[in-house]
Amino acid sequence: MMPWLRSKVDNFIGSGDAALAVPPMDGALKPNRALDTCKTGFAIQAPDDLCVWNGILLVSSGKGLFSIQRADAGVQAVLHRTYENEITAIAADAAALAVAFADGDILIEGGRHDGRRISLAEAGKVRNPTAVTFLGAEHLAVCVGSARYAHIDWQRDLLERGSSGSVWRIDLQTEASVCLADGLAYPYGIMPLGDGHSILVSESWKHRLLRLDATRPSSPEAVLNDLPGYPARLHGDGVGGAWLALFAPRNQLVEFVMREPEYRDLMMSSLAPAYWIAPSLRSRGSFLEPLQGGGVRQMGMLKPWAPTRSYGLVIGLDRNLQPRRSLHSRADGSRHGTTSCLASEDQLIIASKGGNEILFCDLRGQS
Amino acid sequence: MSSVTLTKLRYRYFPDHLVGEALSKRWIDNVPAVIWLLVVLAIFGSLIPNFFLVSNLIDSTRQLGETGLVVLAMTVTILSGGIDLSVGSIFGLANITMLVLLNIFAWPLYAAIPATLLVTGCIGLINGILVGYLRLRAFLTTLVTLIIVRAVVDMLLLNYAQPVSAANFDSPVWDFMGDGDIFELPFSLVLYGVVAIALHVVLSRTRPGWRILAVGGSRRSAHNVGLPVRRTICGTYVLSGLLCGLAGILYAARSNSAGSEVGLGLEVVAIAAAVLGGNSLGGGRGSIAKAIIGTVTIMLVTNGVVRVGLHSGGGSMVLGAVLFLAVFTDIRWLKHRHKLLSRVYVSPTFFELGALPDTTKGSISPYAINNRLGDVELIGLGTIEHPEDVIFDSNDNLYCGDRRGDLVRFDAPDYRRQQVFAHIGGMPAGLACDKDDNIFICVAGMGLYKVSPDRAVTKVTDETNRSFWSIIDDSRLRIADDLDIAPDGRIFFSEATVRYDAHDWPVDALESRGNGRIICYDPKTRKTHTVLRNLVFANGVVTAHDGQSILFCESWGCRISRYWISGPNTGKLERVLENLPGYPDNINRASDGSYWIAMLGMRSPALDLALRMPGFRKRMARRLPHDQWLYPNINRGCVIKITEKGEVIDVLWDESGENHPMITSMREHKGSLFLSGITNNRIGRYRLRDANPAWTSHDSYWGVTA
Repeated sequence: MMPWLRSKVDNFIGSGDAALAVPPMDGALKPNRALDTCKTGFAIQAPDDLCVWNGILLVSSGKGLFSIQRADAGVQAVLHRTYENEITAIAADAAALAVAFADGDILIEGGRHDGRRISLAEAGKVRNPTAVTFLGAEHLAVCVGSARYAHIDWQRDLLERGSSGSVWRIDLQTEASVCLADGLAYPYGIMPLGDGHSILVSESWKHRLLRLDATRPSSPEAVLNDLPGYPARLHGDGVGGAWLALFAPRNQLVEFVMREPEYRDLMMSSLAPAYWIAPSLRSRGSFLEPLQGGGVRQMGMLKPWAPTRSYGLVIGLDRNLQPRRSLHSRADGSRHGTTSCLASEDQLIIASKGGNEILFCDLRGQS
Repeated sequence: MSSVTLTKLRYRYFPDHLVGEALSKRWIDNVPAVIWLLVVLAIFGSLIPNFFLVSNLIDSTRQLGETGLVVLAMTVTILSGGIDLSVGSIFGLANITMLVLLNIFAWPLYAAIPATLLVTGCIGLINGILVGYLRLRAFLTTLVTLIIVRAVVDMLLLNYAQPVSAANFDSPVWDFMGDGDIFELPFSLVLYGVVAIALHVVLSRTRPGWRILAVGGSRRSAHNVGLPVRRTICGTYVLSGLLCGLAGILYAARSNSAGSEVGLGLEVVAIAAAVLGGNSLGGGRGSIAKAIIGTVTIMLVTNGVVRVGLHSGGGSMVLGAVLFLAVFTDIRWLKHRHKLLSRVYVSPTFFELGALPDTTKGSISPYAINNRLGDVELIGLGTIEHPEDVIFDSNDNLYCGDRRGDLVRFDAPDYRRQQVFAHIGGMPAGLACDKDDNIFICVAGMGLYKVSPDRAVTKVTDETNRSFWSIIDDSRLRIADDLDIAPDGRIFFSEATVRYDAHDWPVDALESRGNGRIICYDPKTRKTHTVLRNLVFANGVVTAHDGQSILFCESWGCRISRYWISGPNTGKLERVLENLPGYPDNINRASDGSYWIAMLGMRSPALDLALRMPGFRKRMARRLPHDQWLYPNINRGCVIKITEKGEVIDVLWDESGENHPMITSMREHKGSLFLSGITNNRIGRYRLRDANPAWTSHDSYWGVTA
């Protein structure tokens, strides 16, 4: 009775769950043009995930896995291997590389379990892994975004406010899998924490980071709430902190549409996904995409603070997992849809899936 | 009946836009006071038997006239930013003066009344000189006057109380003033009504009245603007004195008694009544209507508590409570009215467009994207802003509007030299040129103006006939958008919307109501009248090639229509082209007998769907800030060419959007098409391949000049 009454009151006033407000970007998250002004980078079609394997930087793009090499001519991507299915996540340990595919399979290359293929597939459920990480040499932790939709339909899952995602622990020797947490709202990034027995998971649709026990099922604990966007992959920075990439911004109009079931359902059933009122990875689309009032161009210029459905944001977290610094690509930039971000040798490597670029940002200049 | 049909019917017949329009009017501020009046009526009506019996009501109103006049006096001084605490004492002085003159000195009525008014007027003048000219504080000054005049009254009573009570002044007129009825209403009430109406007319519709409110609103600003501040303030105190004198005379006629407590404490009641009705104690905001409502409420409460049987303290307690509640609500209403208005003003309605035509590049659709406008020469890049329309005179000079209110001219033949031809103000929009090279301009926010070749700016018209049932005053022109001149000299121009101003015109798209209209100005009779109503953002207007009809665009309606202005079909309306893929803006003649149409924006599927769900748009307008609303895509546009029958024969796009992302107007001139856009800062010149290199719009309209 009380929850029903509360939801009615909330809907009327616009508070609680019915609140459409989005946290402002302030403090450590104050917007800048760091990603837009970053000069070094190279073009690659839809780069998704990053990892470092045996000193080589690898990036997944579609069905191909590329290694980034510095040559005299500059930086270039060399095709390492092409697979039959779309790669949705990659991770590396000292010797081994894990490649996760859209059909729920995870392939291990190198190390003791070279060639092993683990399947997460389960009848009747979608098991599309969105992020994967090694927990020591013998175990893997995998995020599955949603049990209803594959990753390609992430906008649908977001608009329906889905929370059917799960986190799994897989024993590489026995191929047994344990579900560490279920009912999550699109876990999209995973990383082991320094204490050895917990992992950090980014719960995208609830725009927060969760800490889970890495060994057995437990209820998650939120460690960083109210992010201004939807978090994606996490990578440790080697000194106890982490780098978090956010692939899309939170938008008040999208939050409104999420709470208008009639319009939302009609929109999803009658319009092409590119034209939905939903976050997007790409910055410039056709004029058939929805426009918001603040996005009107005057004299050909778009205000950097205009309401936008896409954004590029990378946040550096300290040991306490609080934001310390951030790099942005604002509304008028093009390096949006940053899905993954890796720190290596004083440089930050960022995959901008919407901008079709890999960026190298110098960390020394950042405060 | 399907839910779509139900939605259509509900939104066609239920006028929910009236709520927002009513809230935007000034008289809506009376609503809280009226609500309190009704509450008081209801409470006392239920507590007291026979409350609403007419004779009982009329008895209650006998005192209303006198108190009401005193409240009017207080209101006038409060509105000018001051206060008159001496109203009660002046009231008492008028009473004793009148009785003394009539009974002791045996003056006739027609001499005693003006004399009393002269006395009270002089007291008011003293107040006025002290407060208005010597700039003393109103509160203290009138407090002192209160004490002194009360002392004078007491002195008069000392000498004359006895003889006055003994004497007896007999006069039928005097008795009529005290106890008589006009059409069953007491004389004092009728007199009060007449004075109140006259004062209301003065305050709201005459210059002295506006000056009082202006001075009350901000004395310093009124002085800076040049208003006679001191004279105005002095005038309000004189008026206050006169009104109190009149009230005192009526009291004397009714009661024929002199006592030291006549008018004692009346100033408190007067302040309470004025504030209860919603007049601001600080000045500048208020009206006579509010004073009347406050007076009636106070009288009801004071009479009601007596009839209910409360003890003497209880009555004041109730009055105090009512006053507190009324002031509290009034303050909250003032603070939040504009917030409420901004939330409920947008009143979306159901609007269904056809299936979105395909614009994919390379498709067979007549609207397919191309890059024909990728190769344009630029004129005035960066030096003009927001040119909505372009036109040429008979000497090939190019004119366009600028958002700074200018009419800018580029000199032929290379259009490099640029000058401000005339400054008009407002936001210049559509342009037309008559045969004598007078440029007619629709100026959004101002009206229809004319600039002659010698740069003289004259106003052609800025109002039209007011429609009777509209709450919004639609005699004013908010966004005069485009115009054209018929062969007989009549000017037909469009007003885009009557509900929004030039700074937030795209919000009209969220409504998609028929808020626009076509208006005709006839220079022979100098009269303006509305020709067509309920158009969905009436925009471009062009006289057809044969001069018998006008073609006009409805932007959010995505259609072009024809209205016959002469010949056998005069007055008929027909649709020429519907279901465009974008929002048409200006329409102008082309050299081969067809028409060019500019699209200021393109339709998007998400908004088209939302147009069929008005509840969704309404909640969006209420719960999201303006910046976040779903908007029509006015970042993109194109130019199409249609025949007289409405067949699309050409489409021009700037694919990259570098120079002409959105286009509001184009004009063909001597083989080139000149383009302009309202969010742009340049004019583009596109060389047409197969156009007549000698054709000009001026010749097409007025014949080739020698």
